[in-house]
Amino acid sequence: MNRLSLKERFQLSRFFSGEKAVDEPVKLTHRRIFILPTYRGLNFAILTAFLLLMAFVYNNNLVYLLTFLLASIFFITILHSYKALAGLVLQKGQSKPVFAGEAAGFTIYINNPVDVERFNLQIKLEQPESLTIKPQSKTCVTLYSLTQKRGWHTAGTVTLSSTYPFGLFRVWSPIRFNLKALVYPKPSLQERPFPEMPSTNIQKGFSQKGTDDFYGLKGYQPGDSIKHIHWKAFAKGQGLFSKQYSSDSSEEIWLNYDNAPGHNTEERLSQLCRWVIDAERIGIPYGFSLPGLKLSPDNGTTHTRKCLEALALF
Amino acid sequence: MQNDTHHLLDAANQVILGKAHKIRLALCCLIARGHLLIEDIPGVGKTTLANTLAKLLGLNCQRIQFTSDILPADIIGASVFDAKNLTFKFHPGPLFNQMVLADEINRATPKAQSALLEAMEEQNITVDGKTYPLPSPFFVIATQNPSYQIGTFPLPESQLDRFLMRIELGYPDHDAERLLLKGQSRHSLIESLPVMLTPERLINMQDAVTDIYVSNAVLDYCQAIISFTRESSEYHCGLSPRAGLALLNAAKAWAFMEQRDAVIPEDIQAVLAAVAGHRLRSGNNDSAAIVAPILAKVAVH
Amino acid sequence: MVRHTPESVWKHSPCFKSMNSVQNKSILIFLLASIGLIAFPHINHIPKAVFAFFYLLLSWRFIGIWKQNWLPNKPVIFLLTVCGLALLYSQYHGVFGRDAGTRLFVTALALKLLEIKSERDLYLITYLAFIVAASQFLYEQSLLMAAYILFVCSILLATLVCLNSTKLQPFTALKTAGIILVQAIPMAVILFILFPRVEAPKWMLFNEKHQAKAGLSDSMEPGSISDLGMSDELVFRVKFTGALPPPPQRYWRGPVLSYTDGKKWTQVKDLRFRPILDKPVFTGLPYQYTLLMEPQDKNWVFALEMPADYALPLSQNANYQLVTLENPDKRTEYKITSYPGYNTGAITRIEYKDAMQLPGDPSDKIKQLVKQLHGFDSTSDYFINELLNHFRKEDFHYTLTPPLMEENPLETFLFETRYGFCSHYAAAFVYLLRVANIPARVVTGYQGGELNKVGNFLEIRQADAHAWAEVWLENKGWVRFDPTAAIAPERIERNINIDQLMPGGIINYMPADAAQAAFNWLKQSRQLWSNIDYHWQRWVINYDNKNQSGFLSSLGITDIKAMLYWMVGSIGLITALLSWLLLYQKQQAIDPVVRLYNRFCQKIAKRGLLRGPCEGAKDFAGRVKIKLPEKATSIDQITDLFIKLHYGKNSTPDDFKLFKKRVKSFKI
Repeated sequence: MNRLSLKERFQLSRFFSGEKAVDEPVKLTHRRIFILPTYRGLNFAILTAFLLLMAFVYNNNLVYLLTFLLASIFFITILHSYKALAGLVLQKGQSKPVFAGEAAGFTIYINNPVDVERFNLQIKLEQPESLTIKPQSKTCVTLYSLTQKRGWHTAGTVTLSSTYPFGLFRVWSPIRFNLKALVYPKPSLQERPFPEMPSTNIQKGFSQKGTDDFYGLKGYQPGDSIKHIHWKAFAKGQGLFSKQYSSDSSEEIWLNYDNAPGHNTEERLSQLCRWVIDAERIGIPYGFSLPGLKLSPDNGTTHTRKCLEALALF
Repeated sequence: MQNDTHHLLDAANQVILGKAHKIRLALCCLIARGHLLIEDIPGVGKTTLANTLAKLLGLNCQRIQFTSDILPADIIGASVFDAKNLTFKFHPGPLFNQMVLADEINRATPKAQSALLEAMEEQNITVDGKTYPLPSPFFVIATQNPSYQIGTFPLPESQLDRFLMRIELGYPDHDAERLLLKGQSRHSLIESLPVMLTPERLINMQDAVTDIYVSNAVLDYCQAIISFTRESSEYHCGLSPRAGLALLNAAKAWAFMEQRDAVIPEDIQAVLAAVAGHRLRSGNNDSAAIVAPILAKVAVH
Repeated sequence: MVRHTPESVWKHSPCFKSMNSVQNKSILIFLLASIGLIAFPHINHIPKAVFAFFYLLLSWRFIGIWKQNWLPNKPVIFLLTVCGLALLYSQYHGVFGRDAGTRLFVTALALKLLEIKSERDLYLITYLAFIVAASQFLYEQSLLMAAYILFVCSILLATLVCLNSTKLQPFTALKTAGIILVQAIPMAVILFILFPRVEAPKWMLFNEKHQAKAGLSDSMEPGSISDLGMSDELVFRVKFTGALPPPPQRYWRGPVLSYTDGKKWTQVKDLRFRPILDKPVFTGLPYQYTLLMEPQDKNWVFALEMPADYALPLSQNANYQLVTLENPDKRTEYKITSYPGYNTGAITRIEYKDAMQLPGDPSDKIKQLVKQLHGFDSTSDYFINELLNHFRKEDFHYTLTPPLMEENPLETFLFETRYGFCSHYAAAFVYLLRVANIPARVVTGYQGGELNKVGNFLEIRQADAHAWAEVWLENKGWVRFDPTAAIAPERIERNINIDQLMPGGIINYMPADAAQAAFNWLKQSRQLWSNIDYHWQRWVINYDNKNQSGFLSSLGITDIKAMLYWMVGSIGLITALLSWLLLYQKQQAIDPVVRLYNRFCQKIAKRGLLRGPCEGAKDFAGRVKIKLPEKATSIDQITDLFIKLHYGKNSTPDDFKLFKKRVKSFKI
């Protein structure tokens, strides 16, 4: 672990929002663990003060002893509180892309490399989540952060805390990871038909495909041109297949930024997003174009991801 | 027994120049009963490698050139009506060979591809409700052209891990290239190769690999690698349990070829790029670059 | 693609908010059980009504764990609060003081139990329970009570553990609480020893009505007692610095009763104004001892006859009895020196008058008896001897359950019943001497005491109370005579407390040896317990300002500054030890093979060749061999052995030995 400069060491933000963001696993040591008595802990201190007064007034040694015992427990609890977090290793995991308005999930791995069970830890990004980690084991927890806008969503400080064993002290450790999740635009709620593309439009520039370009085979469906039936295979008793040619653009659409309806950029992106999802679901190969980017028609998760990523970062 | 592999490799290196490590990996894959995917541009010697191995091992080799109009029946065979006996007779396809070279597998339709991949997995073929076992040893070397051309169907990512290893051959280095240019035709060289290892010996070897000892320390290392890929944010998708098994099997075969009776971490490291590279699905084609973080960050046990 | 709707994510909040979960049920059971236990010893300390009120509400709450809607609502709680306050008011006027405070806290705890809404209330209840636990010590400070409260406190702490950890088994919580409690004990003890004890200022002391303590009274009326139900309550303990006096000399002097009205014997009234007497002339070896008085309501201190040296706050009255000038209701320790041999010298006029007082003329019957025993015509010594022989030879009996003698007890005892205990004999003896014109008086106090063999100290209990006689003889001064010794010599001479054993019938029915052994065992364990209790009283309960300074100065800690240093120092030390114990995270045991190999790597590292954590042994060896070709053979040997031992299947112990040898002999 890199050393802290004196100035960094005394920065107040270190206590609440943690040190500067990292990618590597973080081991919780005294540098990152902070302890303060809780409200209940302060009341406990008042209780011991009251008992001390009682012992003093009645000059009762056993009340003294009880007082000192409670005071010692209060003191020792500091060590136990520290022990509740010390030695844990936190590591950031992956985050999956989400649509705007959804909660982005960030996976955090917590490794407990020692023989101590960790009871009732609370881990919090926006909402607290409690967990217990068995000795010498590893758990992962997914923390959610609500997203608003498309683009990169960065999550703030992850705070791991505990009040174990007595609730008299709260021990916490703020850790900042480089938690980033890609946020796609929110898909438009309106279901609009895919844009109709004049075939000449797509022929321009980049498609070399002609009617003769053999593309592949697909199972014969009634209505397919007889010209396209793969007779050779039929003769071998392999069934009816239709040859497909790449100029068969009837099953291909182009999703274009300029054609997307909407009053502003966001609305257009939102509509494009909807189209991408719909097209992928129906299984039509779709081309995708944004100003400065063109993706040839395709299907599949990788293609969808590329399109959505482009929308997110546009 | 391991000495045979040395001679075999030496002979292979005479034919395919400057690719000792790749040939070694290919042989390792064969001994581990896995299948090999070679992904590279045309003309770097993918077919030569397959032919050389087939010749040296005395396996009957059949090449299937995948095209866009190839049908599953073209690969596995079909039942044809025999007019004389008035029955259907099964004509085995080219897959019924000990070594199958599936060339340019990504040119075929997904349907044809999955016919091959299923046969690889099951080690037998079911046609019309009848099951025909594939020969043993059975070894598929598939080649795939990485440049996405129109009308190709790259193997779906989920199907990639049917191959134990994926390797790239790459261009030969300067000296090898020179020798290649100077020397005689590879084709005639392959023709003149003797059989160095009988199929029976190969099966014995494959059996011997399963007996290679894996210590707890190595298992720890293996698990550390798997959980690293699952937890690290560098990978979209971690290694599956099947990938873990594949890694261990490949490492065992590697240890066997290194004439050891137990796996050491170096064995895992040696096969890691080939075994894990295509399973981590990172979009990058350079296996070595994909697994570099693992080699740099996971401590050996 | 997994979609998370915000609602599904935010729905489950893990915090302790509602009081309905199963987890909270077990917390409540824990808490209520511990509170029930904590308040229970108060059964003898607080009025029955308050006690019943407390347990009524507690049971109500207990049932409420399962039957939520049976719990009282706000108006009912208000009503109950009014009831509780009324109850308090009717029992005691005021809010300060031990009794009032205890009742107040017990009632408040009971009422709070019915209103548990949040985690905060649970904490408040726990804290109140701690206060109630502490209040137990204001009534009883025995070791058993301390152990009991410690146990209950650990349950209370376990409740807090349960509150702060989900999914924790109650037993584990109890264990955790117990462990922390035990870890806290050393620090608590240090604080206990070193925390400065300052007497509370007078205005802070609340006046408590003293409960009458059973014990020796300042009068004696033998005829009116038919059952001497003396308890075995401890009165004082004595620890001798040297040898112990033999049992016949163990007379612990209490008040001297000179005045009698025929039935009752009392002290003379104006004793306080009598001049302090000259010190007797002491002979023989002195006995030095420390006397630890239990709390008393009279300021008498029972010194071994005859006390010679003592320090303030003790003083001696005109009857050679020691009294303390301080409040006797605290356990106090005194250092006293006594001599078994003494001569008080001449008798003063007023003493003579007191010692000859008779309630009117003795009856003829008595005069006849005195005459018969040559009371009027021989020396004092002779008459005393005759009188003692009379008790011995005639049909006199010693009993703790004499018949009642309402009318003229003396004559009834001497001539009719002839059954009595020490008071009867002492009274009769003194009376007869006075009739024979010999100055005599009754002395009360304690006789004997049980030797605690474990702690080597004497324990004197209420049952050891005794009365004997003191006679003034020419040239000898006041001389002790014990007529009881004539009747029941075992009462005086043997080391068995016969008074205590006789009523229980232990002495009478003790036939077999086995029973004797059992009895001895019982006695020994009783003595062991007494010894523990003695030290508990002496070092814990009685550890006051004076004891503290005495103890600390024996350690060389004399002033408050040193005390502070010691306190901070020892707490620091304990903290350091505990932190080490708690926070030292045990590294997983390293395989000896790996350890040896690491040593080998360290040796190579001296040459600047470091093995990376991700580098295998074989690769490392290959890299090193290039740099150190001259060592290639030994590096290979060691690496091969390491691989064989660490990764291989068939390694033998011999391989390990060889490996060890090679690593050790590897030089660079």
